[in-house]
Amino acid sequence: MPRDADELLALLDLEKLDDDLFRGNQMPTTRPMVFGGQIAAQSLVAASLTVEEPYVAHSLHSYFLQPGDPSVPTVYDVENLRDGRSFVTRRVIAQQHGRPIYAQTVNFQKAEDGFEHGESMPDVPGPDDSSVRPVSRKQQEELHADQWNVADIRFVGSSAQGLDEDPRHPGRQRVWLRVSSPLPDDQFWHRAAFTYLSDMTLIGAAMSPHGISFGKGDAFVASLDHAVWFHRPFRADEWWLYDQVSPSASAGRALVIARVFTQDGQLVASVAQEAVLRPRKGASS
Amino acid sequence: MNPTEELVDLLDLEQIDGDLFRGKQPESARARVYGGQVAAQALMAGIRTVPEEYAVHSLHSYFLLGGDYAVPIIYDVERIRDGRSFLTRRVVARQHGRPIYYQTLNFQKPEEGYEHQDLIPDVGAPETGFDLVEVMRKGGNDEADALGKEWGALDVRWLGNTRFGLESDDGHVSQARMWVRLKEGLGDDPRVHAAAFTYASDVSLLGSTLSVHDVNPSKTQMASLDHTIWFHRPFRADQWWLYDQWSPSAQGARGMAFGRIFTQDGTLVATAAQEGLIRPRRGGSEGPGVKE
Repeated sequence: MPRDADELLALLDLEKLDDDLFRGNQMPTTRPMVFGGQIAAQSLVAASLTVEEPYVAHSLHSYFLQPGDPSVPTVYDVENLRDGRSFVTRRVIAQQHGRPIYAQTVNFQKAEDGFEHGESMPDVPGPDDSSVRPVSRKQQEELHADQWNVADIRFVGSSAQGLDEDPRHPGRQRVWLRVSSPLPDDQFWHRAAFTYLSDMTLIGAAMSPHGISFGKGDAFVASLDHAVWFHRPFRADEWWLYDQVSPSASAGRALVIARVFTQDGQLVASVAQEAVLRPRKGASS
Repeated sequence: MNPTEELVDLLDLEQIDGDLFRGKQPESARARVYGGQVAAQALMAGIRTVPEEYAVHSLHSYFLLGGDYAVPIIYDVERIRDGRSFLTRRVVARQHGRPIYYQTLNFQKPEEGYEHQDLIPDVGAPETGFDLVEVMRKGGNDEADALGKEWGALDVRWLGNTRFGLESDDGHVSQARMWVRLKEGLGDDPRVHAAAFTYASDVSLLGSTLSVHDVNPSKTQMASLDHTIWFHRPFRADQWWLYDQWSPSAQGARGMAFGRIFTQDGTLVATAAQEGLIRPRRGGSEGPGVKE
């Protein structure tokens, strides 16, 4: 799996098979299934390759349907849902072995001006503060195999440790993230790389009130859906705060909503993900 | 029929073929199709293709073209996944041979697991709220009466927004809160309650993106771009629920809004998200979505 920006770019550089049809490579992984962020990012690239300038992706909504098989490439089939004047919409089906594994819809907009507001960044220690715990490569590999190696991750805290208790939100987590080496300047790659990283750590916010975590292996986790709204341009290879709240867990599912801030305090994106979150008991899952 | 019965009738789709349905149009006071109606009818179309033991727990959708109120809407359902725990459906709403709206929805067989939820904010009772249509009329919204007729099935009690009566809470810069319910009883089918809530959820969400801005909504072009709902726990749409709405960001003529839905006993029952086009109205421009 990608260890730096160059390897991530190689993974996102899809092969064009035909108009609106692309193939995404795999990289060797120790995991039995393809990382969701990779499928989401490759889908976004596929959709974006069918859209001309000046339209820019501003949102994506998606469902994970089947686990991806890391031993074969993934084919991305793009359908044109709308070519409007202000907005363009694409639907991408990711498929393997003749079956859909993931479905994503992406909306693109021609830039225009309008009303402006943005929530302020919460008061948190910066990524280089001594209270902020770097997550080492070794820890990442133990926790999540090798698929997170392309990210620098610094853990600010969660409801379980490090964050003050907030009775309004029992499930919270804050993490600094960035791609570990420089990307090209084109925003296209920053949106794709961000989408890859955006599938990391999220469900930790939902686990935090329950004394469970990714590493302990006491819960079964699988992403159900994934949505990203891009508010403002930003660089995925410079630190951004992933401010995550899990408003609800019930019925074996948990929802997490996250705000993304650059270090200078700009709100640049919002993310939402629902996941299966089940106690792991014996053989049943 | 009273307006609630009319809504229930709108949700009772005609089955044309196995996974193909047709939805009626209401008598509209406005020359448009209300987005919440399309979302709710699409949800019902999806629901009609799954076994009853599976309950809808989420939907994601995009509005593609303005609907034509003069002709019915066809809902074409595709079965994306039939898993053991989860089922997925895609519904294309179409008119005149073109897709106007596209919804993907996920269903789950009930199970149990971890439980937590956000705390309900400290708000006044529904009786302390103001009738939303009255608030809109006083605010100079030219379309207040037409909207009040269109949303006649809904009882909406406005509690305030960022510029009027609501203190900033939780770091939110643009907020609006209201209590909502269907005016009349809906019966006991939980699927009808999910659809009626979906209908109501599109009424006010985008409005929260303008709560911080000193503008008249009727002088602003607003169109829903997408609409998302996560259903957390079963609830009745005909009993009061708090719609706690906030907008974290607006930029580039787009506004983002989230809503949390709490029942009166403080249970968080759903979360909604919507991005919409919000731009000062200029002569002759047309919107991309269902709302003009």
